[in-house]
Amino acid sequence: MAMQTTVERVDAAVPVTVMTLAGELDASNYLRLVDDVRPLYAAGARHLLLDLTDLTFISSSGLVSLYSILKVMQGEEPPDPEYGWSALHAMERGAEEGGEQNAVRIAGMRPDVAGVLQRTGLDALFPSHPDRESALAAF
Amino acid sequence: MTDAIESILRPFARVPGELTVHFEDAATPSSAALDGPRLTRDIQVDGRYLGRLVAEGPAVRERTISAALEAVAIGIERLVQAGGIDAGALPAAADARSGIAAELALSRLQQRSLVSLEPPEVPGYDLASYYEPAREIGGDFFELFVLRRRGRPLGVVIADVTGKGIAAALLMAFARPVIHAALQAASGPADALRRTNRILVDELRTALFITALVGRLEVRTGRISIANAGHEPPLLVPSDGGPIVSVEGGGRMLGMSSPLDLPETEVELAPGDRLVLYTDGVTDAITSTGERFGKDRMIATIDGARGGSAHDIVRELSAAVSGFCEGMIPVDDVTIVAVGRQ
Repeated sequence: MAMQTTVERVDAAVPVTVMTLAGELDASNYLRLVDDVRPLYAAGARHLLLDLTDLTFISSSGLVSLYSILKVMQGEEPPDPEYGWSALHAMERGAEEGGEQNAVRIAGMRPDVAGVLQRTGLDALFPSHPDRESALAAF
Repeated sequence: MTDAIESILRPFARVPGELTVHFEDAATPSSAALDGPRLTRDIQVDGRYLGRLVAEGPAVRERTISAALEAVAIGIERLVQAGGIDAGALPAAADARSGIAAELALSRLQQRSLVSLEPPEVPGYDLASYYEPAREIGGDFFELFVLRRRGRPLGVVIADVTGKGIAAALLMAFARPVIHAALQAASGPADALRRTNRILVDELRTALFITALVGRLEVRTGRISIANAGHEPPLLVPSDGGPIVSVEGGGRMLGMSSPLDLPETEVELAPGDRLVLYTDGVTDAITSTGERFGKDRMIATIDGARGGSAHDIVRELSAAVSGFCEGMIPVDDVTIVAVGRQ
C-alpha cells in the first residue's frame, strides 16, 4: 500500500525536521523511507520528528526502517537492510551511557502502530509523544 | 560465489581493503582455521567436503568477522542441503565471479524446503503446520521437535526475521539451529531465547531483528511454558467453546540488546484445547485493493474451524488467507502452526 511522506522544517528550541508519514509502512516501502532520511541528515538535519498521526499500519519490515533512520540521524554507518549486517550496536551503547536520545522522536502513534513497537520492544529506543506540539516542545 | 560472499561480508569490513573473502576449490580440508591473516572455514554437507571459504586480511582476527564467516558458511551449507545451490557448481561459481542474485537467489520451492519440516509424531497430540514463502525471500521459520529430556517434552519454535532478502534468509538459516540447540540445552524457553539473543547481539552483531516464540510442552500434563521475544501472541482455542484468547506476555525481540530477560507464561492444554501460532504474514496479508486480512478475520476463521482437528484449523486458516489474497503469491511469508491435545 502506498505511503506518503511530507517534510517540513520547524524551529523549536532546536531546528527540527518534521517528517509526516501517511498510509502504511511495510515491506514495499521500508527501504525507500531510509533513503528519504539520508539526504536530510546530509543537509544538516540533526533532530527528526516522525509524525505518525496518519500512519495506519506498520509491518515488521517497517521496524527495520525506524531503527535504520535512528542510526542515520545519529550519524553512524547505517545498517544496510539489504544485507542486514552491522558492525556496531552503538545505539545500545548510547542507551547504556544514560539519557534518552534526542535525534528522533515520534508523535501521534495510533494504538495499532504503538502496539507493534511495544510488543517488539522498539518503543524503548524512541521517545514518544501524543502529538506534534508536545513532541516539538521536548526537543 | 566470491561476489556473493563479499557482498554479505562487506559491512563487516570496517576499513575497506582489510578483508577479502573467496571460495577455494581445495582438494583437502584445511588443517588450521586461523593462519596469520588468513581465516578458513570448510564447507561440508552431509559429511562431504566441498571446499572452503577463505577470509584474508588483518580483520580476520576480529571475533565479529569469524562469527560472520561462520554464519555465512552455515547458511551456504544449508542452502546446498536444501538444493538452493548446486554443490558441483560451487567451484565453477568461484571462477565465474557471478553475482549474488545468480548464486544465492533461492526459488520459492527451495526456500520452502529450507524451512519446512514434518512435525514429529507425538501420541495424544495433533500437530499441524503451514508455510507459504513470499515472492521476495522472507525470514519466517518454525520447528516442532522432541527434546532429549525426561518426559520427552515437545519443543515449539516460530520466528520471523524482520526485513527481506538474502540476509534475512541467511540469518534464518543460522538462527534456526541455534534456537534448536539452545532449547535442547537450556533450562527452559526463556533461557533458550536469552542464549540465542546473546549470540546474535554479542557475536553476530546483526542489524536485523528476530521475533521469536519458544514453547516447551510437557506431553503428559499438557502444560506448555512459553517465552515470547516480540512475536505475535499465540491463540488458545479452548475445547469448551469459550472465547479464543491471546496468550499475552513477553519482551523485546532478539538482536536488540543483551541480556534479554523474558517472562515465561504457562498455559495448560486440556484435552481438546488447541494452541495456534502464526507470523504477521497471516494478519498482514493484503488484497490488490489494499485491504488487510487482520486479526478479527483470523480469529473468526479459527472460530469457524474449531470443531475440527489442528490440521483442520491450519487448513481452513491458510485457505482463508490465500482466498483473501485471490491466489496471489503473498507479499510476506505466511506461517501457521497448531498444537492440539486430543
